[in-house]
Amino acid sequence: MTRAGESRNPQLRRAAGYYQGLFRAMGSPCELLVDTKNEKLAQKLLRLVAAEAWRVEDKFSRYLPGNIIAKINESDGQAVTVDDETANLLDFSATLYELSERRFDITSGVLRKVWIFDGSDRVPTAESIRQIMDSIGWHRVSWQRPRIRLQPGMQIDLGGIGKEYAVDRAAARISPVTSCPCLINFGGDLVASGDVRQPDGWQVGIESPDSEGSAKKLIALRTGALATSGDARRFLLKDGIRYGHILNPQTGWPIEHAPDSVTVAADTCTQAGMLTTLAMLNGANAEAFLEQQNVQFWCLRQKSESSRSRL
Amino acid sequence: MLNSRAGKSALIAFLLAVMASGCSSMGVEPWERDVLAKEEMQLTTDPVEAGIDDHIYFSKEASSGGRGFGGGGCGCN
Amino acid sequence: MSKQNSRSIAASLATAACSLLGTSTISPVQAQEEPDWDFNTALLYYGESDNRVQDFSLNVLARRIYVDDRILSLGLTVDALTGATPSGALPFDGPQTFTRPSGKATYTTAPNEIPLDDSFLDTRVALTAGWQQPLARLYSINAGVSASKEYDYVHLGANAGLARDFNKRNTTLSLGVAYSQDSLNPEGGAPVPLSAMLDVGDLSNRMGDQDKDVVDLVLGLTQVVSRDLLFQFNYSLSQSSGYLTDPFKFLSLVDPVTGDPVSHTPAPGERGPSHENRFESRPDERTKHSVYGQAKYYMSGKVLDLSYRYMTDDWEIDSHTLEARYRWPFGDRSYLEPHVRWYTQTAADFYRISLVDGAPPLEFASADYRLGEFDAITLGMKYGWTTRSDNEMSVRLEYYMQDGSAPSDQIIGNQVGRELYPDLDAIIAQFSYRF
Repeated sequence: MTRAGESRNPQLRRAAGYYQGLFRAMGSPCELLVDTKNEKLAQKLLRLVAAEAWRVEDKFSRYLPGNIIAKINESDGQAVTVDDETANLLDFSATLYELSERRFDITSGVLRKVWIFDGSDRVPTAESIRQIMDSIGWHRVSWQRPRIRLQPGMQIDLGGIGKEYAVDRAAARISPVTSCPCLINFGGDLVASGDVRQPDGWQVGIESPDSEGSAKKLIALRTGALATSGDARRFLLKDGIRYGHILNPQTGWPIEHAPDSVTVAADTCTQAGMLTTLAMLNGANAEAFLEQQNVQFWCLRQKSESSRSRL
Repeated sequence: MLNSRAGKSALIAFLLAVMASGCSSMGVEPWERDVLAKEEMQLTTDPVEAGIDDHIYFSKEASSGGRGFGGGGCGCN
Repeated sequence: MSKQNSRSIAASLATAACSLLGTSTISPVQAQEEPDWDFNTALLYYGESDNRVQDFSLNVLARRIYVDDRILSLGLTVDALTGATPSGALPFDGPQTFTRPSGKATYTTAPNEIPLDDSFLDTRVALTAGWQQPLARLYSINAGVSASKEYDYVHLGANAGLARDFNKRNTTLSLGVAYSQDSLNPEGGAPVPLSAMLDVGDLSNRMGDQDKDVVDLVLGLTQVVSRDLLFQFNYSLSQSSGYLTDPFKFLSLVDPVTGDPVSHTPAPGERGPSHENRFESRPDERTKHSVYGQAKYYMSGKVLDLSYRYMTDDWEIDSHTLEARYRWPFGDRSYLEPHVRWYTQTAADFYRISLVDGAPPLEFASADYRLGEFDAITLGMKYGWTTRSDNEMSVRLEYYMQDGSAPSDQIIGNQVGRELYPDLDAIIAQFSYRF
């Protein structure tokens, strides 16, 4: 979840009627907007939010040595006892594994070894995928809170949950401190917290680069969260590695006909984020899936692609 | 992820469509477009003002266009 | 995921998220899509010094953004023009009387003043409609139509474009074409090129309605260089054909020794011009090439916008345009934007300050100051702010001045020392509101 050389120095500036704090974490630009004139308060909230983002990143990034994820991934078949927070995340992952009918799988990160979406046409061979599939599957993991045991060669990766989780945790950190309207945005996954002062709340623009910025869909967010999953987001969710596609952990191959991006509104960023991921895993049926969930969503699909997926 | 034209309580969350990555060293990754997405970083920040200027200079000078089409449609030149 | 199961997923997820986050005080989501009409409006005053052209203009651009980045845009411009404009005739130390373009009356200008045609009064209404949409993954297309109407001028136009993204959308190549067909029907008819200005009521040198066609082609390259720098490069080709002459412009016919206008005596009992004038004549083809480069650079909140254009055409006009804007945010919700524009052009090869009596006839000649050699500078300042209700307003004030000179080898006799080239000073004041 981290990148070398990412500076841990949050910047605060006064913007149009509010304070804007900026920093980087989890390979993404992160932002805190605070509707206040009190600079000290904004500084304090920014420190809290950034500290929480970095705490989650340090604890759960699979790229950092010595953290709990490294300990589990280097356990070589031995059981590891985990703390409560990690256990909660593992319980949550297990629930998602069931809810997604085994398509959301935190052991599928090893597929990155063969799938390298670097813009080249180097698709891995079926054989190399088959080999790696032997070390994928949550059902092969022994998880009895608080002890987890992976089979040798297996790895877990919480990157698919981490950023949304960090957004919700950060919101929980500042809510005892202030009721000022705040918007926490980690690389496009965001939550609005505090009182609602403006009748429309926060205006969040969803934008596609096709339009050179002129096309925007504006969503007024009063309370709750928005999360976006697209291939661009997927890079971020999967630890900054150059992923261009959503992979199906049951086959080792990309999900076909997934939308270009999915944005979902939900009470928490974690819920919103998981719904976008599950929608993506539904490929061509992403919209139908979200309709059934009775949630607000915005799917972006190139026209030619949606028609192809209907064939 | 930065503030948009919408001013107070405004923000641009930034969302990108899929694209196979090229090999050029120029350019940015999709998630690095936060600054480029800002209103003031668009090539034409105010299309109405750009149209007004094009029209004025079309009618007072011998050159037109360049940024876009040559302008005109006016008996003024 | 089977349909029976999937209905309960959101609910199960909510429960799971609740136990993961351990918070009980989660407020339910309240989100809604904003209306996606976007209105850009502007009121403009353009005013030239010395009672020359004044323009009040209202501009509205409405854009509706649909899903999948499809964009409809509709534009309306209404201009109310009044004032006088240099006719092309030379000043001299006596009064001059001219027949109005309509051929129905005369007007007289004072000694030593650049003759202005004050019959300039018009209302122009222009409409545009455009559509833009993605096409397949990396392409986008756009198409539009335009129409405008003045008292004596009608324009119809259409345009279309195609763009393709490369290199993670950091590079965009675009191609656009536009075609316009304009028709002129000046009151009394367009004068025969190089014919003499006649007495009131004599329309024997007038032709019927005239047309001109313009085809434009623009090739563009947009390149994102880094997180805060991007470039745009365009090559444009513009080809005009048809009646490219200005039916209201003419040249003084001057004495080869004194340089003073040759006098004219109207027919007995008629009113008419006091001196000899010849209506201008331009080639009926014009090909313009231009290259344009623009850079936008973001410097911790401030934005520098630099552009340069070089244009050359087969009328031997070359021009350079340099423009810079610097957007400087300050305070809570406002910015200042200084603007500088510098322009220079060479004269068209048929630009003449006058026609010399007795000299061999020319095929083309125009004394239109806009085809002469001049420099122009624009200095401006814009102040923009965001209102409490998140709408944007801005005011800008600009000063535009042209400084030209008559070609020294064309100045004859008494013309030396006279103001032969009409310099221009203008104010541009604009108020914009975006909601």
